[in-house]
Amino acid sequence: MGQVQSHAAAEAEAVEEAPSSSSSSSLESLIAEAAAYGNDENESLDAKAEKALECPCIADLRSGPCGVQFSEAFLCFLKSTAEEKGSDCVHPFVALQNCIKGNPDAFSKDVLEEDDEVKKDEEPTQQMKIIPPTWSKEPQSPKPKL
Amino acid sequence: MAENYSPCKDLPDLLSSFVDTFVDFSVSGLFLLPQPKPTPLPHPSQSQSSPTNHRLPLRTRFPSAQRLVAIGDLHGDLDKTKQSLRLAGLIDSSDSWIGDSTTVVQIGDVLDRGGDELKILYFLEKLRREAARSGGSIISMNGNHEIMNIEGDFRFVTREGFDEFRAWADWFCIGNKMKALCEGLEKPNDPFHGIPSVFKGIKPELVDGFRARIAALRPCGPVSVRFLSDNLTVLVVGDSVFVHGGLLPEHVSYGLERINEEASDWIKGLKGKFTPAPDHCRGRNAVVWLRDFSHELGKKCDCSHLEHVLSTIPGAKRMIMGHTIQQLGINGVCDDRAIRIDVGMSKGCGNGLPEVLEIRGNSQLRILTSNPLYQTNNKYKLSASDTHRPKQENDLLMSVPEHRPKQVPVKA
Repeated sequence: MGQVQSHAAAEAEAVEEAPSSSSSSSLESLIAEAAAYGNDENESLDAKAEKALECPCIADLRSGPCGVQFSEAFLCFLKSTAEEKGSDCVHPFVALQNCIKGNPDAFSKDVLEEDDEVKKDEEPTQQMKIIPPTWSKEPQSPKPKL
Repeated sequence: MAENYSPCKDLPDLLSSFVDTFVDFSVSGLFLLPQPKPTPLPHPSQSQSSPTNHRLPLRTRFPSAQRLVAIGDLHGDLDKTKQSLRLAGLIDSSDSWIGDSTTVVQIGDVLDRGGDELKILYFLEKLRREAARSGGSIISMNGNHEIMNIEGDFRFVTREGFDEFRAWADWFCIGNKMKALCEGLEKPNDPFHGIPSVFKGIKPELVDGFRARIAALRPCGPVSVRFLSDNLTVLVVGDSVFVHGGLLPEHVSYGLERINEEASDWIKGLKGKFTPAPDHCRGRNAVVWLRDFSHELGKKCDCSHLEHVLSTIPGAKRMIMGHTIQQLGINGVCDDRAIRIDVGMSKGCGNGLPEVLEIRGNSQLRILTSNPLYQTNNKYKLSASDTHRPKQENDLLMSVPEHRPKQVPVKA
């Protein structure tokens, strides 16, 4: 309780700059408190999201060619209160998509080496019998016979 | 309350769900509701780190539904999928669920012959979650084309089908790379592990699509586990038995629950990543392949054999099947003990007019059709009540003209 009040008071001070009197009329203070409290909730969600951006987990994601778009999309997602979380983030999501399309390796750091390793495993496996559609086959007849 | 809040503790999980949401949106254009919370009934065999480990064991038998809508083969045609659902009053103009507590049964064959395969899988998943909120449900079943694709039999895949999966793989791998950059998250598995990069005799421009499709759909693949491993292969609702192809006495004695569990375990990769499907899903007498009771000529349906199969399933009065296109629309033979609901609606095979089967309670069967010949109420009755009628081949279809208009704009 005490915390919220003092926080609210501090908030009001910051906004109004010059508090005429800290013991203002009860109605005024109630309104101020309500408004400050309302803002506080939003701001705390915003603030939490902003703070989250500083976390090491996403440091690499925020750097690189699509870092800005990532940050905006992720921030929007964190703040999203829609039932289908993120559905109010179509614009930043599309911006991130477009950036990735233009920079396919935007998030590839460190992963490349492993890709090479994996490639070695990718010899045709005997177990795999893929049956292709006929239209997908290379035409056989036009091949010149040696 | 926010005193001990440390913003970085939950961040890996939040990032993970952000990436999943972003990938889903990029692949399907959809945002899904959160997965409904399962009732706490831990499944002992699912303790490993498969993405399905929070799901419930499969259920094979259900009591009759107040309203059930059965939908036939969809084959990669999202427009027709939506038309069928709209026809039955299950989705509104913005494609949201308005079906209340209706149970939907999709009889299988979402895959092949069209380019919207993933879009349909996603769309049904979106609806499944919406439906759950109003007590409705969407039950997806395995058709032979699901089984084939999981096995790597791509004979009926279209070019668009490969393209759609290639795009999926691109986004899925970008998502994995994003997750891999966060130290707090487990390194995601490479979905392409063990898949060859060379396919002899295949046009080179298709190789990426081949690889993507194998990665997605093979046993343990991200798409097969997520969208197909909970499919039922056999289903009993009230007095109706649903199966894509058909059931024989040996299937029933093998055990319907067992068939479902084995198919599901196989799709989850519990039998290996390149293992062929269980026997009951392979070959012409398989539950997803059988045509004994769905031949278009009713006289080719051995009614006494069907009767015998049904008598081995307690309470069963009819078998409802897809798999074989019924040019004349949904119909019943053997006194409506065999109902055939594959109307070949996909533009990849037949481009038939959407029709769905509605069952209210136990025995009120109706066909909901978009065929303008039956525009009076969009409904016509199955023959069940007209028992005094002389028995004919295709009993149900007596009033149906030999040739129905093939392509009529559908308003539903």
